[in-house]
Amino acid sequence: MNDLKVLGEFYFSQLSNKPIWDAKGRRIGRLYDMAIRWDSVSPQVTGIRYAKAIAALIPIEWVVSWDSTGLRLNASFDPLLTCPLHDDETFIGKWLLDKQIIDLEGSRLVRVNDISLSWVSHEDHQFMVLVAVDIGVRGLFRRLGVEFLLSRIENKFVGCQYIKPIESRTSSLQLTREKEQLRQLHPADIADIIEEMDYKQRANFLDVLDSQQAIDALTEMELDTQVEMINQMDEDRASDILEEMPADQAADILGELSSAKSEELLRLMESDDAEDVRELMQYEDDTAGSLMTTEYVGLPFWLTAEQAIVEIRRLAPEAETIYYLYVVDEQEILEGVLSLRELIIASPETPLKELMHSKIVKISPYDDHEKVTDIIHKYGLLAVPVVNDRDQVLGIITVDDVLELLMPERPHVESHTNLIARRRQAKGGHSE
Amino acid sequence: MNFKERFALFFAVMGPGIVTAFADNDAGGIATYAAAGAKYGYSLIFTMLISTVLLAIAQEISARTGAVTGRGLSDLIREHYGVKWTFFAMSVLLIANLGTTVSEFSGIATSFEIFGITKYISVPAMAALIWWLVIKTDYGKIEKILLLLCLSFFSYVISGIMVKPPWPEVLVHSITPSFSGTPAFLLMAIGVIGTTITPWGQFYVQSSVVDKGITAQDYRYTRWDVLIGTFFTGFIAFFIIVSTAATLYAHKIPIETAKDVALALKPLAGEYASLLFGFGLLGASMLAAFVLPLSTAYAVCEAFGFEHGISKSRKEAPVFFGLYTVLIVLGAAVVLWPHLSLYHVMLTTQVVNGVLLPPILIFMVLIASKKSIMGEYANTRFFNVIAWTFTAVLIFLTTLLLVSTLFPNFLTDIF
Repeated sequence: MNDLKVLGEFYFSQLSNKPIWDAKGRRIGRLYDMAIRWDSVSPQVTGIRYAKAIAALIPIEWVVSWDSTGLRLNASFDPLLTCPLHDDETFIGKWLLDKQIIDLEGSRLVRVNDISLSWVSHEDHQFMVLVAVDIGVRGLFRRLGVEFLLSRIENKFVGCQYIKPIESRTSSLQLTREKEQLRQLHPADIADIIEEMDYKQRANFLDVLDSQQAIDALTEMELDTQVEMINQMDEDRASDILEEMPADQAADILGELSSAKSEELLRLMESDDAEDVRELMQYEDDTAGSLMTTEYVGLPFWLTAEQAIVEIRRLAPEAETIYYLYVVDEQEILEGVLSLRELIIASPETPLKELMHSKIVKISPYDDHEKVTDIIHKYGLLAVPVVNDRDQVLGIITVDDVLELLMPERPHVESHTNLIARRRQAKGGHSE
Repeated sequence: MNFKERFALFFAVMGPGIVTAFADNDAGGIATYAAAGAKYGYSLIFTMLISTVLLAIAQEISARTGAVTGRGLSDLIREHYGVKWTFFAMSVLLIANLGTTVSEFSGIATSFEIFGITKYISVPAMAALIWWLVIKTDYGKIEKILLLLCLSFFSYVISGIMVKPPWPEVLVHSITPSFSGTPAFLLMAIGVIGTTITPWGQFYVQSSVVDKGITAQDYRYTRWDVLIGTFFTGFIAFFIIVSTAATLYAHKIPIETAKDVALALKPLAGEYASLLFGFGLLGASMLAAFVLPLSTAYAVCEAFGFEHGISKSRKEAPVFFGLYTVLIVLGAAVVLWPHLSLYHVMLTTQVVNGVLLPPILIFMVLIASKKSIMGEYANTRFFNVIAWTFTAVLIFLTTLLLVSTLFPNFLTDIF
């Protein structure tokens, strides 16, 4: 690639609507759109659509020069020699210009104001490649024909390797690459991106994500959006996702749905997952029960430290936290608690009964939120166990669940009329 | 689905149409309907009823587009018509909404004057309050209080019945079109249409539908929401015209300030009439003053891809917060101009709305008729005929208004 020469750089807006002249000096039409193929690293322009009404393309090889007066072809134009749009090609103007794309570098949704193209030559071959999309204000002004007003402002580009159009029209090769890039995004970023999409885009986008990523992203979202998304998904998919989510979140979501819909989804879920969720759903909104999760690590008191570590390896993937370990008897009655640190530094044969603290801070599922926060704060805990009146463990409340309560309600509004959505939440969210 | 489930679903999607409808009867709305009744008696009821029907059609189109595409109107204009048209549409929206914001602040000033507080205190205070509350607090609760205040406009319904208007005459006027080519009449007619169907109302209802997560499947319930909302807009407007016509027009009392409009409530509330009116006006004006600057900033930023959202910081979304602040500050500043007739500001801005409505309507109808965007939910031919006729009539009226203002004798010679 040492002899790669850049012959010219253009913006799509500068080329669009420019006249096209053939070798005989006849005006063929104007540049309406450009077809690209995106299978290697850079997307390449393959043809030019020269009229709105005609779908056929002028092959890019015919073009000998591009300048401000228009495009010139190397041959005399004959409509019979034009070629149709291939399956692996797409029109950039229609597909990218003015549309929203995901900027993988900045992990956000942006709008394409202009497209930057480069005309390069490489070993006798000349081709036009898509270099970047322009997402800055300057691009906007350029489109309006008043770029000079902002000539001091830098252009804001997103390189083509970092863009992920919401509507995928690229080759399967490119799609695999996109998936790979999406995998690099943090679920919280994906959640933010999804929240800004409309419901059709969301459905398409979820299909591109692998299922674990979809679940992680959904877990990071605001309750409103979670409810919306579950409502808009087909029921089989929704129930699959709910199964995999933390049970307390699944319960919160189902609590917001109409009773008929939530019953239907619970029925479709695997029975033990559904059972956990049902249990959590019975608690009122303002009680400790509504905050807790059933995914804790409970260890029988007769285990030794070594056996306990083996057991944790088995339980850890499902558990919300493993830093606190709860020691129980045959009837799930809470006997004591110990930390992961205490377990690891203990000698392997010590029975848990000797390691655990038997003076335990615990709460009832019917305590209010204030009491939960007070206790977690007072004792500086990462999690607190929730027990019933017979001291059987029902679940735990972790400090991050409480943190959410303590954060001053920040108006999380992505769009102005979200007011309505929040009103629904304030009412307790029951749509009946 | 049984009846109960359907009912539950309806309540779940209800809201956008009804809130828009109540915000529609804002300061400018009240002023315009009252002026129509006081100046022309029952003769503009026909125009009002027609524009209510058209409101239902326009709101239905917007709500349907929102439900089917899941996107706001400015977003759709940008994606399908490019930057230049978007710039045009957004300029129209900005001018119309700035005007409407001014009229809301006039409404706020007027209602405080009724309570004996000068506008030089009330307007800056309320502008600051609105700016601060929207950014810092949960707007949902405030909105409920304001909607409650708006309910006081139902007092016009009671008052309108208590004055015992000549119902047969009212009925006849409701179905006979009346027309006059005088600039004043045209102004009033366009004002009535412009206050009923507003550019911002169309943008607002569409994005509310989108934000509520309503999809094409739930749309049939949203249609009812929109129709019920529109009915109430028309219902209250009808009684405002009737009660002002029966009291002010009948006794030849001209409206000089908005306070005079309160006279129409005398039969109901006696000496408390102006208080009742003041609260209603305050509620309606505040409701719209909250929603308008914010929704304008959203629409513009959405169209051009600027960062937006109240959850963003001022540094992250400078354009959004800048626009929002400028709208409030300008809106309030215009009202503070000394010796300005607040009442005429409210009327004039409605005419501006009416004049600026056609471009927005054209975009709406074009988008809603595209099969590639709307699929099976695209406008039917019947719908399009009505929508285009209406747009044409509105453009015709606007042109007439322009001509009649420039050459006052031209039209009176014809009609």
